[in-house]
Amino acid sequence: MSKKYWKGLPELNNSEAFVQSKNNEFAENLPMEDFLTGDDAKTNGTSRRDFLKVMGFSTAAVALAACETPVNKAIPYVVKPEEVTPGVANFYASTFYDGHDYASILVKTREGRPIKIEGNDLSKVSNGATSARVQSSVLSLYDGARLTGPLAKGQLTTWKNVDDAVVKSISVGQAVILSSTIISPSTKAVIAEFTSKYPNAKHVTYDAVSYSALIRANKNVFGKSVVSSYDFSKAKTIVGIACDFLGTWLNPIEFANQYSKTRKVNRENLEMSKHYHFEANLSLTGANADERYMVKPSEFGKVISSLYNEVAKATGNSKVSEGKISNSAASKAISKAAKELVENKGKSIVVCGYNDEACQTLVNGINKMLGNYGKTVDVDLHFNLKQGNDKDFIDLVADMNAGKVGTLMTYNCNPVYTTPASLKFEAAYKKIATKVSFSQSLDETSLLADYVCPDNNFLESWGDANPKRGHYSLQQPTINQIFRAPRYEGTRQVQDTLLKWSGIKTDYLAYLQGYWNNHVFPQQGKYSDFASFWAHTLHDGVLKVSVVKDIPFTPVKVDSTGKIETTGVASAISDSLTSDVNSNVGFIKTITLLGATEATVISVDYNKFANTATSSKGGEFELVVYEKVGLGNGTQSNNPWLMELPDPISKVTWDNYITMSPADVAKLGLNEMKRQDIIGSIAELTVNGTTIKVPVYPQPGQTEGTIGLAIGYGRQASSMKVAFGVGQNAYPFVSISNNTFTNSNLSVSVKATKEEHKFAATQIHHTIMGREEYLLREVSLKEYKNKEKEIWNPIAALPAHGGGKTPIAEVDLWADHPRMNHKWGLTIDMTSCIGCAACVVACTVENNVHVVGKEEVGKTREMHWLRIDRYYTSDMNKDKAQEEHIGTKQMYLDMENPSNNPTVTFQPMMCQHCNHAPCETVCPVLATSHSSEGLNMMTYNRCIGTRYCANNCPFKVRRFNWFNYIDNTDFADVNPAQQDLGRMVLNPDVVVRSRGVMEKCSMCVQRIQAGKLVAKTEKMPIVDGAIKTACQQACPTNAIMFGDANDETAEISKWRCDDKNYVLLEEVGIKPTVSYLLKVRNQEEEMHTHASHVAPTGEAHKEEHHS
Amino acid sequence: MSHFSLKPFISAVFLLFAFSINLKAQDGAKIFKQNCAVCHSLTDQKLTGPGLLGVAGRVPKPETEWLSKWIKNNNKVIASGDAYAKSLVANNGGVDGMSEFEYLTDDELKSVVAYIIAPPAEVKPSASGSGEGGTTEEKTEEVKGAIDPLYLLLGSIVLLAIIVGALRSVRHSLANSFNKKEGKPEVPEMTFVEEVKHWMGSHRRLVGVCVIIILFIGMKSCWNACYNLGVYYDYKTQKGYQPPQPIKFSHKLHAGDNEIACQYCHNSVEKSKHAGIPSVNVCMNCHKAIQKGPKYGEKEIAKIYEASGFDPKTGNYTNPQNPIKWIKIHNLPDHVYFNHKQHVVVGKQDCANCHGKVKEMEVVQQQSPLTMKWCIECHRKTEVAMEGNAYYDKIHKALKEKYKGQHDVKLTVEKIGGLECAKCHY
Repeated sequence: MSKKYWKGLPELNNSEAFVQSKNNEFAENLPMEDFLTGDDAKTNGTSRRDFLKVMGFSTAAVALAACETPVNKAIPYVVKPEEVTPGVANFYASTFYDGHDYASILVKTREGRPIKIEGNDLSKVSNGATSARVQSSVLSLYDGARLTGPLAKGQLTTWKNVDDAVVKSISVGQAVILSSTIISPSTKAVIAEFTSKYPNAKHVTYDAVSYSALIRANKNVFGKSVVSSYDFSKAKTIVGIACDFLGTWLNPIEFANQYSKTRKVNRENLEMSKHYHFEANLSLTGANADERYMVKPSEFGKVISSLYNEVAKATGNSKVSEGKISNSAASKAISKAAKELVENKGKSIVVCGYNDEACQTLVNGINKMLGNYGKTVDVDLHFNLKQGNDKDFIDLVADMNAGKVGTLMTYNCNPVYTTPASLKFEAAYKKIATKVSFSQSLDETSLLADYVCPDNNFLESWGDANPKRGHYSLQQPTINQIFRAPRYEGTRQVQDTLLKWSGIKTDYLAYLQGYWNNHVFPQQGKYSDFASFWAHTLHDGVLKVSVVKDIPFTPVKVDSTGKIETTGVASAISDSLTSDVNSNVGFIKTITLLGATEATVISVDYNKFANTATSSKGGEFELVVYEKVGLGNGTQSNNPWLMELPDPISKVTWDNYITMSPADVAKLGLNEMKRQDIIGSIAELTVNGTTIKVPVYPQPGQTEGTIGLAIGYGRQASSMKVAFGVGQNAYPFVSISNNTFTNSNLSVSVKATKEEHKFAATQIHHTIMGREEYLLREVSLKEYKNKEKEIWNPIAALPAHGGGKTPIAEVDLWADHPRMNHKWGLTIDMTSCIGCAACVVACTVENNVHVVGKEEVGKTREMHWLRIDRYYTSDMNKDKAQEEHIGTKQMYLDMENPSNNPTVTFQPMMCQHCNHAPCETVCPVLATSHSSEGLNMMTYNRCIGTRYCANNCPFKVRRFNWFNYIDNTDFADVNPAQQDLGRMVLNPDVVVRSRGVMEKCSMCVQRIQAGKLVAKTEKMPIVDGAIKTACQQACPTNAIMFGDANDETAEISKWRCDDKNYVLLEEVGIKPTVSYLLKVRNQEEEMHTHASHVAPTGEAHKEEHHS
Repeated sequence: MSHFSLKPFISAVFLLFAFSINLKAQDGAKIFKQNCAVCHSLTDQKLTGPGLLGVAGRVPKPETEWLSKWIKNNNKVIASGDAYAKSLVANNGGVDGMSEFEYLTDDELKSVVAYIIAPPAEVKPSASGSGEGGTTEEKTEEVKGAIDPLYLLLGSIVLLAIIVGALRSVRHSLANSFNKKEGKPEVPEMTFVEEVKHWMGSHRRLVGVCVIIILFIGMKSCWNACYNLGVYYDYKTQKGYQPPQPIKFSHKLHAGDNEIACQYCHNSVEKSKHAGIPSVNVCMNCHKAIQKGPKYGEKEIAKIYEASGFDPKTGNYTNPQNPIKWIKIHNLPDHVYFNHKQHVVVGKQDCANCHGKVKEMEVVQQQSPLTMKWCIECHRKTEVAMEGNAYYDKIHKALKEKYKGQHDVKLTVEKIGGLECAKCHY
């Protein structure tokens, strides 16, 4: 008899309620009706059938709507400009200068809109190189935050109203034009016109990132208030002290180019510069140094004075006082560096980025003792960049507080955002009666301004530049003003505004030409008439004057009708050789005559400066306020390409954080973010009584007891949709000492909180985990010179049947692909690569790579086709594990932790275009296949998004479109392609990928095809170097080489015959088309000892092979 | 062909000369159209040259002789010191811009002068289009009066329905009267739907099979339709997309009858990936003078003036400009890269290979399917002209080596990688 169990008394009793509930499948009433219809449902009820009907109908309706083919319109020009051919790009030479960075550029325009910026090879200042910031500046033209017309008290108004109001108020009190450094001589002339019209007006130059200590040091030593120019290409020994000259300092594009020239090592040239670096943060430059030492900011002065004394001892000069450096390794390195500096007298360079007068004066003293002036450092051919005078600015703020300033006009600067908190600029600014801003968008300063007179973007403007003495360049508009009448009130170039306010009836272009006619044209002898001189210079974009002839400044004469007088200039030339850039009218005003540097004898009391430099003391934590390679000083912080650009060192995107030594992180009990953790802690940072909350990122290489915080973040202007609210502003923490803004604060405190912060980093593993041989090969210069290639760059081989070894290349399952015509190849010189990420942005621009925002990057869904892998060395290695008998598991765990002061290697990584590509074999729909020219082709329209290829790619370079980034409103704020304006930047030759398809580096196939077409129409073979990939073109150090490897005379073939050439994961047999030249470090240490070559398979044979 | 755009008027005249050679000598109207109408109208309207209405009364007598001399070589007439000729030059600001027409025979001159003096009233004074053009234009019109088969079908269905309805009620009443006779209960009248349900209930197997067949046919036709989504070309009728354009521009008239080269208007075809829709200033090269068309008169040409801002009364560009919004006919999806320069300059393809006989089209129609299959078929059979182009030397040598000893090997686009994805998709 079967037993019967009851669930409870109700079942036993079989009550009515139980019977009812038993028949009801769902215990509670499902709220189906609520979501199916509105209030009607309450009365009528909606059945499941209705639901299905509605769903069926909507599906059918959607399907039917999708069937409709759209009508495309073709709208030709009414009158086609002669130089425009639809579908063909035009290039115009112009100048990029945003008050911070300078580059001579070529602007690629399609049908009248700029879509890409490339370097101008004719320039002797930027040498055809660009940086990430220059590359991305084209998007700032299409920034949705730009103003469309002038504002008065925050309301759009007409230019006439603004002109009337401002002109009326200029005469009241003092009028000041506050600008960042102006390197345009004609703009200075315009300002001079303005100040001569209004005698109560003056011009103050203020740079957000100050270099005024350099100027004052040069004044101390040479009597010249200028910033020297530097030539790293002639230097054999380079010593950098807290100076990120490859990433952000002074003119990094030029320096990176020069620096790389000293580091092209091959069998013909075994010379290589030696680079010592002393710094607190791990900067891009420090990451590239041959030897890097961690020093606190309070000890920078001690490092410099020690170095001074070592050099003085060797050169027979008198010593100065010095302090003790806490890092003994650094002290030893100083002696070593000094010895090499003296050995390379006149071929060495010492640079310091610490904005402290005493330190800079001592550095000048060192360079002087080394005889570097006139060779690697030049005060005569000085920079005109960074003329900002901190003292003038501090005085101005005092005047503002005293109520002396009636009108303040800010041009190309944003002092409310960029000034140190201790200056209390904002309060002083609010006291001014008439505040005028020339900002292009509503930034922090223009939000408080009474009148905003938006300037044109640099791509819409005329202009000139004189970045270095004797070097000129011209800027020309490459697009009509985007915001202009009749649709908008329009933007107006600042120079035009100032000319108008000065009562001069001419436009700036005519004034510019008049200026050039009077001042630049006479300096050259090539062209006899101005018209052809102008046309040729405009075409070239640059002009180098070999003999510098400074011309006394005479304002351009303009008559009442606006006509420019251009007479009597030749007689005005004088051969003077110096100038004072800090005067209002710039270098054009001859003040004193000085001969060569050596002739000037100024006695400098270096000991006095050494006493000052060595006296500083640090607190609990010392803060270094630094610039990131991406955002720079923050002028372009609303640019999503730069926000999404991973920081070259930390690899973090969309964030600002404290960089802290892992030891300090552990000490404070913050999240150490080990083992690929992405959750960091938030700490309270207190500086001079101001406390902010910032996440903490453990940064190997950060000096213990120091922290770093980057500027450019923490924007408070809500119209800047991209940058608004990202990170914290570090500018207020800049300290002022001795009337200079010093990019550090020696006493800050950090307190741990329990709050956590999620980082979005593109690389969360930091070390190579013992896989150097297969992925990341490097060699010390000594080994490269002395040891066999087999030891440091072996060919992967397998043990063959019957003994011996067969190179992997000869063991193959598949037949080789025939490459009858071209065999495109890409080779990357890791010795030259400095990791500056210009290529990453260039690739993004060229290939319409989507911006996805912080959240998606955090899910490893970034879309960059080209990334730069950054690897730190670890204290643990296989040798050490073997010697110390550490188990394999523990060894690998320890390997994950980078060294305290790691050596850093950058490895640009993109699709390797494997000849036996693992991705191709797994695609079920043949959406990725191989071309007869060696390219791994990706066909988006065929891709169904299985992502098998990405899973099978050993390099993880394939990117999947998880969303429709151009339509999905979740990405409206970050993806430029979502706005009508931002969409204009898209490259029309490359398709914009949609949701659900895979994409990856195409090796710029659009450029290859275009280059082939040129060759075919010209009926000649492709000239080597005629086709350049976007990354290659952007690279400031020429680390990337593209070409036809079938052409034996091509440069790439030479690179590939180099004994440094290797391919990644060679033993897997995928035969990548991309190859690398291994990294050579100028070190004496042996990197390749016998035991270090341990292969996972065939160990014994490999050992044998090497020995 | 780029020099055309530089000297538009000269070239327009040159073009007209080019096809004036075969004209019959006596046809004054034709000679006038080919030679004179670019600059002169037969009304009093001034184009580049003066309007010719009442010209006979203005010129010195005998007017026929003077006009013949003037047309043949006006410079000679001026040089001869003719007072009227001098006054003409003086009135024109001292410039004599008229070309010489030395090649016209005396007969031709006579006929054209006769035409100018007394143009036949029914001939519309127009500058372009030969006489034959107008006669063939109507033939594409559909035959009026024919009934669309769809209507026939619908009509017959309605008719059948009426018959079925009538028969049903007849059957029902007959059955009931039979039942009544037999003494059986009367069958209640079923509605049509009820009856169909009843019938379907009793023929389940048949209904099931029919449903399956209908479903299958429906799905298959959906599938076929999907294949042609976005394809504007009908393989059965060999007809393609032919939308009405904002201006009734006739390629037949321009490219066909007047033999204007394609590249004159689509002038970026040899320089760019786009062949280019001509900008309005290209139209104005000729239409500044030619203000009336043979078919639509001034109506359509006025649209060009509206676009370009041209005021035909003053001859100046004073009005606001309005770009013409043409409907694009040859549409390729975004993920396809196509380059005209590659095909026209390097591949030496004739325009008609893809675009069909545009010279015969009043309204342009897509003549090729523009599907990937169509592209690939062409790449498979088209040979590459490698000889004489140094770019191909290397691959030519390699291919010769590869196919050594084989006959009938064509070096097609396919053989040099013309079927690879990244040649068109990137």
